Amino acid sequence: MNKGGSRSTTSLPPEPVEIIRSKAHYRRVRLNVGGLLHEVLWRTLDRLPRTRLGKLRDCNTHESLMEICDDYSLDDNEYFFDRHPGAFTSILNFYRTGKLHMMEEMCALSFSQELDFWGIDEIYLESCCQARYHQKKEQMNEELKREAETMRGREGEDFDTTCCSEKQKKLWDLLEKPSSSLAAKVLAIISILFIVLSTIALSLNTLPELQDIDEFGQVTDNPQLAHVEAVCIAWFTMEYLLRFISSPSKWKFFKGPLNIIDLLAILPYYVTIFLTESNKSVLQFQNVRRVVQIFRIMRILRILKLARHSTGLQSLGFTLRRSYNELGLLILFLAMGIMIFSSLVFFAEKDEEDTKFKSIPASFWWATITMTTVGYGDIYPKTLLGKIIGGLCCIAGVLVIALPIPIIVNNFSEFYKEQKRQEKAIKRREALERAKRNGSIISMNMKEVFARSVELIDVVVENNGENMGMVQDNHLSLSHRKETPKRTTSEMGSTQSLEPSSPDKAHPASPQHLNVQKLEEMYNKMAKTQSQPNLNSKDKGHLSKVPKKRDEIEMGVIPTEPAPTTDMRSMSSIDSFMSCAADFTESARFSHSPSTTVPGRVSANPVLETTLEHEAMESSHSATKVPGGRGSKHGLFSDSPRGLRLSNPLKNRSLKVNFKGGDADPSSSSSAQGPGGWALSDSSALSAHSLMSPEVSVYTTASSKTPPPETLIPTVFTFHDASISKFIDADTDEEEHLHDSSGTNASQRLLGKASPKLSYYSSHQRAANHLESSQRMLGNSVFPLEARSGGGQGNHVLSRGERSHSNTHNENK
Amino acid sequence: ALVMGEDEAEIAVNIGGVKLVLYGDVLNRYPESRLAELINCSTLNYDIIYSLCDDYDPGNNEFYFDRDPDAFRCIIDVYYFGEIHIKRGICPICFIKEMEFWKIDQSYLDECCKSDLTEKEEELAEIANKVKLILDDLDVVPSVNRSARYQKFLWKLMEKPESSLPARVVAIASFLFVLVSSLVMCVGTIPEVQMKDDEGDLVEHPTLEAIETACIGWFTVEYLLRFMSSPNKLHFFLSFMNIIDFMAIMPFYVVLTLTYLGTAMMDLAKVQQAVQALRIMRIARIFKLARHSSGLQTLTYALKRSFKELGLLLMYMGIGIFVFSALGYTLEQSHPETLFSSIPQSFWWAIITMTTVGYGDIYPKTTLGKCNAAISFLCGVIAIALPIHPIINNFVIFYNKQRLLETAAKHELELMELQSSEDSMVKATRKSGALGALESSMRSSRSDNCIPLIEESTRTLKSKKYCSETESF
Repeated sequence: MNKGGSRSTTSLPPEPVEIIRSKAHYRRVRLNVGGLLHEVLWRTLDRLPRTRLGKLRDCNTHESLMEICDDYSLDDNEYFFDRHPGAFTSILNFYRTGKLHMMEEMCALSFSQELDFWGIDEIYLESCCQARYHQKKEQMNEELKREAETMRGREGEDFDTTCCSEKQKKLWDLLEKPSSSLAAKVLAIISILFIVLSTIALSLNTLPELQDIDEFGQVTDNPQLAHVEAVCIAWFTMEYLLRFISSPSKWKFFKGPLNIIDLLAILPYYVTIFLTESNKSVLQFQNVRRVVQIFRIMRILRILKLARHSTGLQSLGFTLRRSYNELGLLILFLAMGIMIFSSLVFFAEKDEEDTKFKSIPASFWWATITMTTVGYGDIYPKTLLGKIIGGLCCIAGVLVIALPIPIIVNNFSEFYKEQKRQEKAIKRREALERAKRNGSIISMNMKEVFARSVELIDVVVENNGENMGMVQDNHLSLSHRKETPKRTTSEMGSTQSLEPSSPDKAHPASPQHLNVQKLEEMYNKMAKTQSQPNLNSKDKGHLSKVPKKRDEIEMGVIPTEPAPTTDMRSMSSIDSFMSCAADFTESARFSHSPSTTVPGRVSANPVLETTLEHEAMESSHSATKVPGGRGSKHGLFSDSPRGLRLSNPLKNRSLKVNFKGGDADPSSSSSAQGPGGWALSDSSALSAHSLMSPEVSVYTTASSKTPPPETLIPTVFTFHDASISKFIDADTDEEEHLHDSSGTNASQRLLGKASPKLSYYSSHQRAANHLESSQRMLGNSVFPLEARSGGGQGNHVLSRGERSHSNTHNENK
Repeated sequence: ALVMGEDEAEIAVNIGGVKLVLYGDVLNRYPESRLAELINCSTLNYDIIYSLCDDYDPGNNEFYFDRDPDAFRCIIDVYYFGEIHIKRGICPICFIKEMEFWKIDQSYLDECCKSDLTEKEEELAEIANKVKLILDDLDVVPSVNRSARYQKFLWKLMEKPESSLPARVVAIASFLFVLVSSLVMCVGTIPEVQMKDDEGDLVEHPTLEAIETACIGWFTVEYLLRFMSSPNKLHFFLSFMNIIDFMAIMPFYVVLTLTYLGTAMMDLAKVQQAVQALRIMRIARIFKLARHSSGLQTLTYALKRSFKELGLLLMYMGIGIFVFSALGYTLEQSHPETLFSSIPQSFWWAIITMTTVGYGDIYPKTTLGKCNAAISFLCGVIAIALPIHPIINNFVIFYNKQRLLETAAKHELELMELQSSEDSMVKATRKSGALGALESSMRSSRSDNCIPLIEESTRTLKSKKYCSETESF
């Protein structure tokens, strides 16, 4: 018997007295962290009373205990935490020895999250690990920030307010994204050809054989080459103007370094024309000619336009910007070397007859040419002393130049790798967008609007530097979530009880979203880095295969579960949608039998439990709706009349709530309950819980498809994927809330019910969402460790769900 | 209870949740270790048992130790194999602490893991040094008397540009003076700027001379102030940077004395030669430019560390020069207008070729000589590239390490500050002593370091500042 089970058998949460007695009885405590058992003295935990474990000691009520740990058993004196076991070893050692060390193989970012969870500040890290930890963390943060910036840039660039936004966007894609279409690719190649052509023309222009003599006796351009030049400039100008017109943010466009280069490549030509035309009569004056010459030289800047089409050139620029420190060092070394050797050689050579080392500044040239080992030979030492100095200068030059360069090279290679990775990611994203366009356009727009809005808030939160707010938000929502099931139990039988909890629910949920959004961004990136060529096609396939696949996953998971499938379904419906459970006596009855077996799984193997839950969640629809409703999923409208037929008001309502919880199901969601359900549940606490939406199961499908379904490991990732996708769903749900609640009245609801169009709309949208998120998840599952650690926020939530889970069991008994 | 004095004695131990059964004969291989002591001690004497372990369960005859089980699994190896290997992932410093707890001597740690340990220890020592240095700078302990306080103030003003705004101003001024004087030195040698004196010799322009004097004046004042304020005069005098400073100033005064007094003692030509020689020493001031540059310090450190490789580089070059100059000389003999007049003459050619500089003042003219030149060029590239790699490596390692040390020292300081503020906080909470406050604090505080957040009333200004710092960080 495990803790979960033992507690649910005692129907009621233990009294504070019992807890105190248990704590007084044992000198030690067993901590089960992610399956790994640790035993520690209570006394040891007391050393840091304000950390999570320290607080565990002081908690005497069931509620406060549940706030701190995920599960516990007084009989076994065991407390369960659903966290990474590896990191916990070092954290527990901190209690024992007072020294906090970091596991060497652990990711600094995930370790910092663990530290946050356990309430230990990173500042306690021992200095031997401190340095490594902070360096890694800073590096990671920097990378994330850059990633976020590019993401934001990409998201922001589609922002259109004008009426012809569609065309504008097309133009922008055509000009800025060579990989977006064939035409864009052709355009890019033409652009490159023009750049090369104009550069060649510029060089040929200076060949004396090709130059003409004008009426003042001055050399001027060859007329043919001038034509070429004019054509090139015309092309560049047109390109620049089109880009400018189509750019979503004009100021940002104007500021972009590549666009500045473009402008600098065009401008000199016009300035030259202006100057020559306005000063035709005074052109012979030297100063005007010189100005014109300077502008002519500036034309060579157009070669930099190639940077637009080459990642290598861009990363070179970035490397130079990032390693200005090392470049400064290089220049400092060189400058000092040049100064020293030039003055030395000057003193050595100055008495020589007919020497070229006339002064120290004159010998600067020699020192530079020698240190860089160019050695033109126009000036060289002649005395013995000078030659010795020259020899030393050569060797010193080689050394001095060679030293800082590896650091710069390192910077470059790192950035180059990153850039390559990002390029791949962008390609993937574009392919995905195309796929979405082919599938359903509506959903994409919805998703994008949403993503943008979140990102905006995200920025605000980021600015506030809410490092610690994150944890607190979690706590908040934690406690609120817990309240819900309790209230339900106290006023059992009435779904109304859900309503009062709504206002407070809405508040804590949103900040969490933000954090999660951030996380999601991170995941996104990870997913992208692992881009697999075959993924795209697979994902496209998803759209059509979704229902089938779901069946597959069910097949995959169920065999590991001994309990009968029907039982499990009904039971899970209670677990996740307690409000329904209250109404559905039938399902409540069912819940008795599996209650002992399923929680057992929960504690013994959290991994399995989650899969089970997802799976169950999804099937709960069919269970609550109609027996055999599962089959109806294949047909979009098949079950809508059935939903309408449920005339019993009580039942109907509960169903609505239920659907709220699981409204993400592609087929069932809108058919009957559609907007009506949302409007009602808009206030229901469960809306935030739409976490458990069946969509999750699709991801389960996605991720557990690759590895064999029997192994437990992949399911772990599913769990995490789910927690993220949950948020994606929750987010979209909320948006729809706004959408629906704004203009919902009875008639509209009715309309919505009646019209199949609406349902079609939303189901489509769902499907598309599936597509995108599932792809993300797929990528995710490749990185099990990161996913595991990164999903800390998601973890909280799920464990919450799990807890409410066991609570309901108590109630049902 | 324990079976006493027998080789078959066995004990059950529970190390942080991991249960093991250990046998007496195995444990007694190291009688001074904690476990051996435990197995040998009397069962009845609970005091001793509790001094050795953290908890004892007489029912199961199980000894509980509140230690890291992972580390113990490595340490237990010593009883079986006589040597210990640190498991990957465990911090060596932490592991040593565990070994101390189990009373196992450090010498049992195997050689392969010892290098890890020493590396970590060295790093720690370096960090400690750095922290001590920073702490010394921050030291605000009021000195005994006024003069000592002034001395300290002056020292900080001159030597620690980060310590205060005036100190930074002084550092920048000093840097500018160095720059100006270096420029003046260079410009002064341009013939167009120079002026003719009575005897027709070229001398420096009087304005430049005046600037030079002013700069030297500043350097002298700076050097003297630093010398006066330095806590350890001998150490100050012998440090590399200060020797350079001294050398940058000295020539000027020597030249002054020589020109005024020297004519009386020796003839003019000699004086002028001496002045010339001393002028060269003015170059030393260029080094002053890099006084505050950590990059140059890194360079000098790297060069110091890779003395051997530098020697290797010079040796390779030397051998190459000898071989190829001799070859070049002999092969070029056949040509009538050869540029290789002697072997020492062709040394220069060899150097210039091997370092790929190639001035073109001397070059081979015969075919064989040209082949020789090509080979010498190739050999030169290899001879330079091979030993340079370790030098570069040293440089990069040290460069990275320095940056790592900087972050480490910064955080170490933060930790110290935190601990001091925490101590005061603990006192404050104890004073208020209310249980309710504690309860609420647990909810509001994220971790121990934010205890200041709990008690609004007892929050000090310092801790407030600290909290915001850590948060932003």
